[in-house]
Amino acid sequence: MVSLRSVALAVGDALRRAGIDAVLTGGACASFYSRGAYHSVDLDFVLAGEVTRSQLDAVMAGLGFRRHRDRYVHPVHPYFVEFPRGPLAIGDDVSIRPVLRSSGRRTMRLLSPTDSTRDRLAAFYHWNDRQSLQVAIQIALRNRVVMERIRRWSAREGAIDKFEEFRAMLKAARKRLR
Amino acid sequence: MTSTVVTVLSSPFGSETRTRVMLVLHLLEESYPRELARLLRVRLASVQGALRGLERDGLVAGRTLGRSRVFQINPRYFALAELRPYLSRLAEADTLLRDRADSLRRRPRLTGKPM
Repeated sequence: MVSLRSVALAVGDALRRAGIDAVLTGGACASFYSRGAYHSVDLDFVLAGEVTRSQLDAVMAGLGFRRHRDRYVHPVHPYFVEFPRGPLAIGDDVSIRPVLRSSGRRTMRLLSPTDSTRDRLAAFYHWNDRQSLQVAIQIALRNRVVMERIRRWSAREGAIDKFEEFRAMLKAARKRLR
Repeated sequence: MTSTVVTVLSSPFGSETRTRVMLVLHLLEESYPRELARLLRVRLASVQGALRGLERDGLVAGRTLGRSRVFQINPRYFALAELRPYLSRLAEADTLLRDRADSLRRRPRLTGKPM
């Protein structure tokens, strides 16, 4: 069974080699960092710069994907790829610095663990989506995240109370793991 | 009942329907396609098309509530702080639309109570 991680790396690497600047975000990125605690079949790559539809079609076809409207689907595995319109932003913050992750000869660009945590927390802050809160906790449990950056951004989003709830739940989860 | 409305205002969001969908969502906080079509006096399919485009552009976010899709201005849109005052300014100019939105009853009503 093919994994989300391997599909994300294959797509991210193929885009990068084709000179297409694409960053994995959203649920697939959260799934990557939560190491299976959260499962997604939807891979969102945010594009920067000018890319034509035919360039994307060609890269994706090389990996066995075919386009169905705005979505690339695969005949064998359930994972699908979309390219949501940018800019790459988390709330009002557009100064996002993606990171590189490699496995074997493949390398892809994705949100940092801190930004992936913020991305999930944004859904909790704005839609009260508690599943996203749980995923944010799982990412922060398994990766190094910059809490002060998350706190400052949360204050700007007007969600400092919800940030404190996240921090308290993360602390409790860490205690349970010890 | 739908009828052709002569465009009297600019359409900075790409089309009159897209722009007015944005204005109604700004005024009402959230709405669903049938309510939007009723308020804007346009076909449901036009509203659905406008919502799809606005969603793709990240300006609008939809979520499923029971069997309905409920839409709002995307609270995660990166330029939301600038977008809100702009929509308020545009809404000021569209008095007809504002009046229609203002006439909409949205407060709770006890179940079974006659209208």
